[in-house]
Amino acid sequence: MLDTAPAVRKPPGRKNPGRARSLRRPRFGPYLLIAPTVVVIAVLMFWPMIQIGIMSFQKVGNRQLRGEPAESVGTENFRTILNDPFFWQTLRQTVLFAVVAVTLTLVIGTLIGLLLNKLGKRMSSFVAGGVMVAWATPPVTAAIIFSWLFGSTGGLVNWSLDLLPDFLVGGGWNDYNWFATPLSTYTVLTVCVVWQACPFVAVSVLAGLKSVPSELYEAARVDGSGPWRTFWSITYPILKPIFFVLLVMSIIWDFKVFTQLFVMSGMANRDAFNLSLYAYSEAFGSLNPKLGMGSAIALVFTMILLVVTALYVRVMVRQGETR
Amino acid sequence: MKYIRIAAATAAIALAATACGGGDDDKDKSGSGKDPAQLKVWMMGDGTPEQTKFLDTVETEFKQKHPNTDVQIKYVPWPQVATTFQKAAAGGEGPDVTELGNTDVQSHVEQGSLADISDNFSGWADGKTLNKTALENDQSGGKTYAVPWYGGVRGIWYRTDWFQELGIQPPKTWADLTAAAKKVQDSKKVPGIGAPSDQTNALVSFIWGNGGEVATKDGGKWAGKLDQPQAVEAVNYYTGLVTKEKVAPEQYIGKNELEGPQRDFALGKLGMYIDGSWALKEMKKVSAKDEGKWGVFPIPSKTGGNAPVMAGGSDLAVWKDSKAKSVAFDYITVLNTAKNAKAWADYSGFSSMRSDVKFSDPKLEIFTQIASNTKFTPISAGWGEFEQAKKVLPNALKAIMQGKAADGELKKANEQANTLLNS
Repeated sequence: MLDTAPAVRKPPGRKNPGRARSLRRPRFGPYLLIAPTVVVIAVLMFWPMIQIGIMSFQKVGNRQLRGEPAESVGTENFRTILNDPFFWQTLRQTVLFAVVAVTLTLVIGTLIGLLLNKLGKRMSSFVAGGVMVAWATPPVTAAIIFSWLFGSTGGLVNWSLDLLPDFLVGGGWNDYNWFATPLSTYTVLTVCVVWQACPFVAVSVLAGLKSVPSELYEAARVDGSGPWRTFWSITYPILKPIFFVLLVMSIIWDFKVFTQLFVMSGMANRDAFNLSLYAYSEAFGSLNPKLGMGSAIALVFTMILLVVTALYVRVMVRQGETR
Repeated sequence: MKYIRIAAATAAIALAATACGGGDDDKDKSGSGKDPAQLKVWMMGDGTPEQTKFLDTVETEFKQKHPNTDVQIKYVPWPQVATTFQKAAAGGEGPDVTELGNTDVQSHVEQGSLADISDNFSGWADGKTLNKTALENDQSGGKTYAVPWYGGVRGIWYRTDWFQELGIQPPKTWADLTAAAKKVQDSKKVPGIGAPSDQTNALVSFIWGNGGEVATKDGGKWAGKLDQPQAVEAVNYYTGLVTKEKVAPEQYIGKNELEGPQRDFALGKLGMYIDGSWALKEMKKVSAKDEGKWGVFPIPSKTGGNAPVMAGGSDLAVWKDSKAKSVAFDYITVLNTAKNAKAWADYSGFSSMRSDVKFSDPKLEIFTQIASNTKFTPISAGWGEFEQAKKVLPNALKAIMQGKAADGELKKANEQANTLLNS
């Protein structure tokens, strides 16, 4: 993604001749090349999205799925959702989780990236291999493993905490139920999600670091700069575009976490729901699906994400231009 | 220009974001033409080699009547039941014959996905042996849409050796039950009883055993009864096992009986827990070491005697889109002959819904006695929403077990029952 950035930049001293020409004589070649992709995306992505848009104004259940025409309910679905205090609770939980998880992912991922850059060749591949395993693990598998680790019978975490001296961590860990309250559920969820997400950050940061000329670091060392200063004065400014991309992607990913929470605490713990689970429980939760309601929640959710991304993309584009 | 780029980038990122979510919609159109040479049968659950073997013998027998029809079995795991039926409705890729959870039958009838089999049913001699209460649940507006196949009732599993050693009689009242749990907990250093919050089918026995109800139908409309004193007292007793008496561990809050209690009981780490006859087979898979010491007693009512139990189980129905409805019904009759019903009951641990079939294993005999006193959760299409999607009672119970007042939580749950059961 980054390698293409310099190519987009305007060649110095010329006043956009390409743009002027293309205004006069439109070229179809590029559009032809991109057409297959656009068609595939349109069929697989835009059409379902449009459907969701339509369905969010309708009442859609199994009868409608069987072919009966869906009844339009206007904005009722949206009014129901926005007036439901439960929606705001799930939204709050979604946002709080995203803030914590994104921060931790970026910090830990960057640290791992820096570590990988510092390590020797052998050790670096060893550590990289280790973090790749976390990345390659499918979310369902990871969620099951974590719910076992934090389980109450035979769970490794409870067992270890119980072995530790009581004055350190308190007693009674053997029976501790991690999935009983939202706070502890989200603690486990955060650990699981961050564990899976930071390898991507680490590898991206590492790739960026490899492209930073080593003379800069040498100069900094000569000037007596410590690692903290070096990071903020050299590494961070140079890798800023990478961090922006990672930030936006992490926000999107962590906003829509579903699998792990679904596996860990499931439908019986509504107090720990996030927005995705709320949408799922409305849409597919029972044999009487309410796909209209589910679509409405999904649409609201998408809108929120679009606003967030638009803000960041705006900042990103501006930065790219002033550089 | 700038804004176009912003918009494009935003859209691209939003796409990348949604790309990971979709794409499990594998509708395969090739089999949509209903071939009478093939009968699609959906069975719920994961399917085991033994079950497949049993169904193979059923097919052989079925083929004596319909030599040209191949039976195709598809196993639908229970957690995927709702979404699989939604896909079947949307894609027209339904079965000919399907097993259904009995609490789901009314939802299916309501949605118009089951065929009316009243005529076939009245011509089926064995139909008269079927449990009447269970059959009622399969009827709507005077028509029959499904037939009961097997059922399961719950009892309290306990350790016979521990009860004997400590001189405990199988409890007959709630007070006995608490005392027994306490005794086991004190001397065996394991939690006395499992009381998970997500086990409505067990909870209702306590409500019914105290003369309460979840909801009753008055003049065509469901009225919630969860705020009545009998129900509140029952819920207070059940949650009190965790909060007041502390004979049930907190680790099962937010869980169901399969997410802990069953395994812990099988491992000898729990004194008692509530489950059905089918649990025996599952527990043997966990650990068969103490198998000989497992026993069952009926869930007691408050003041003595067996509490009514939820008659869970499965029914068989013909899918409305089936092109070969009478052949499909023939399959049901073969599947449920006395001989096959017995073979199935002995393998699965579920009681047959035929009055003339009994278990062979003496350990399960008690369930036949328990099954003489059954009741049903509200027969309403809204029950699915109430119990599966919103999980109203499990979440209320969880809140109460974590310190909320039962009156307030049940009042809220009751309001939900009033709306959802009538929608």
